[in-house]
Amino acid sequence: MTPSAPAPHVDVATPERVALSLPVAGIGYRCLAWLVDASLLFFFWVALYFVITLLVSDVLGAFQALSGLTQTLLAVGLFATQWLYWTLAEVFFHGQTPGKRVMRIRVVREDGSPVGFFESAVRNLCRAVDFLPVLYATGCITMLLDSRHRRLGDLLAGTVLVREEAIDLDKYTQAPPADAAPGSTPGASVQRPLDAEDVELVLAFLARAPGLEPEVRQRLGARLVDRVGASLTDEERARVLQSAEATEAFLRTRAKAAH
Amino acid sequence: MAVPLPTFVTRRRPDWDALQALLTRQRSGRLGLAELRTLDTLYRRAAADLAQAQTFYPGTDAHRFLNQLCAQAYGAIYQPPRERWASTRDFFRRDFPATLRREARFVGVSAGLLVLGLLLGALVVTLEPRGAELLVPEGVRRYVAQGRMWTDDLLSVAPPNAVASGIATNNLTVTLFAFASGILLGVGPIFTLVNNGVLIGAVGALCFREGMATGFLDFIAAHGPVELSIIVIAGGAGLMVGQALIDPGELPRAQALQARGREAVKLVVGCAPFLAGIGVVEGFISPGHLFPTWAKVGLGLSLGALFWLYLLRAGRTDAGVARVDVPEAMASSRLR
Repeated sequence: MTPSAPAPHVDVATPERVALSLPVAGIGYRCLAWLVDASLLFFFWVALYFVITLLVSDVLGAFQALSGLTQTLLAVGLFATQWLYWTLAEVFFHGQTPGKRVMRIRVVREDGSPVGFFESAVRNLCRAVDFLPVLYATGCITMLLDSRHRRLGDLLAGTVLVREEAIDLDKYTQAPPADAAPGSTPGASVQRPLDAEDVELVLAFLARAPGLEPEVRQRLGARLVDRVGASLTDEERARVLQSAEATEAFLRTRAKAAH
Repeated sequence: MAVPLPTFVTRRRPDWDALQALLTRQRSGRLGLAELRTLDTLYRRAAADLAQAQTFYPGTDAHRFLNQLCAQAYGAIYQPPRERWASTRDFFRRDFPATLRREARFVGVSAGLLVLGLLLGALVVTLEPRGAELLVPEGVRRYVAQGRMWTDDLLSVAPPNAVASGIATNNLTVTLFAFASGILLGVGPIFTLVNNGVLIGAVGALCFREGMATGFLDFIAAHGPVELSIIVIAGGAGLMVGQALIDPGELPRAQALQARGREAVKLVVGCAPFLAGIGVVEGFISPGHLFPTWAKVGLGLSLGALFWLYLLRAGRTDAGVARVDVPEAMASSRLR
């Protein structure tokens, strides 16, 4: 990883002898995922309430008649929404509750392997403590203090939440536009090949160029040309910098240059 | 010598896309044997590509993409074995009681704390009549003053959620909290146990003083023994967690916490079905006067005896095959 990125990571050593490093999900992702899950559960309760009121006209009377059953049902319902939902979802959907799936985060063990029943059981039992005194205050404080944004339940279970980014590979495999004539890119093939960092920079610029302001586009393009096309003669450089299209065609050819 | 990054991506991308498609399929359903073989091959190729990207193109998007792809495949391939019915049966037959016996010290301390609370609550109310105002919830006091049990018309005046407050009927919350609060350096279980003990002791002593001992006994007898046992066991599990935090022994605190936490949660998970069963008893048998008091007392005592007989006797024959948790600790430490 680049030293300029101090974002926390989980480092994994796989049996294939390749080191993975997974980006950890921070407090924002976790809060949003919890909000999604909490609203789902809330709607479940509301729906249940409406179903009961539809089926039974005199709700309070029915509750009185079935006091034992009601108590049991309430306890079961509480248990289901407080613990069962989270644990079963994490165990059966590979560490993702619906809310986590929406936010593209996942619970894994600290060594990166998938979460098992006991870990999930522990981390979700600890919700009771993390929630204290209101709205996960304890959990949020430990997340802010911990280097990997874990709440108490994660610390006890040995789990971490990792993030999955949506990465687009199209910028690497994009074909150059057809109107770029091969003659308009002078000297691109006789230059030294670029290193990966420059390629990444150029490709990132090319992916974003169409959305930039014209003068910014021109200025950035010129700077990149100076960076990757150091051995251009003056009139070649002027020709490359004539228009944004020419600049970008030159850059594209440079980035794709074979040896 | 490395090829340029776009060439590398263009050349290898079909394999990555195939692997991603397979992973999506694997998550939604089952894969055939041939597809699993393909998955394995593609994963190894992707891992090799990741190694190449790490060497020649570090910090690029391609590297990050491969990192993530390999992580997903790794998660899919190295899944923990699914908890099957047999292992559940095995857990209740041997693992859970054995764990409890192994951690008997903590359960003993937990029981001591609860009894201490009971005695304190009962003593305060017995010796100092005004003490009840401090310890017993006001709603219960009003009922007792009128000479009625508060459980007789539990739901006639108060909405159900108000009933649970103040009386230790909300056993589920108490049980969960007795365990989970262990992460607060073990202070949580101590507080929960003593607090609930004081509450029950105070209410019992108040009922006794007002000449309603039979009513109190009538309500608490059927489910009391087992329920208090479960709270004690959960409290013991919480104390285990607290102890791992205070005295981690030779392991780093984080690892000690995980190793002990896994053991402790077994106690709580093991109690869950019994808690459900006793909840049914509490909901249907304890309130009201369908059953005479002696029947409730008999039922409660026999259930409690059965529960403890199971805990202390089950799986005794092969108790010698105690599982050692060293591999667990080793597995989690192999990265540091």
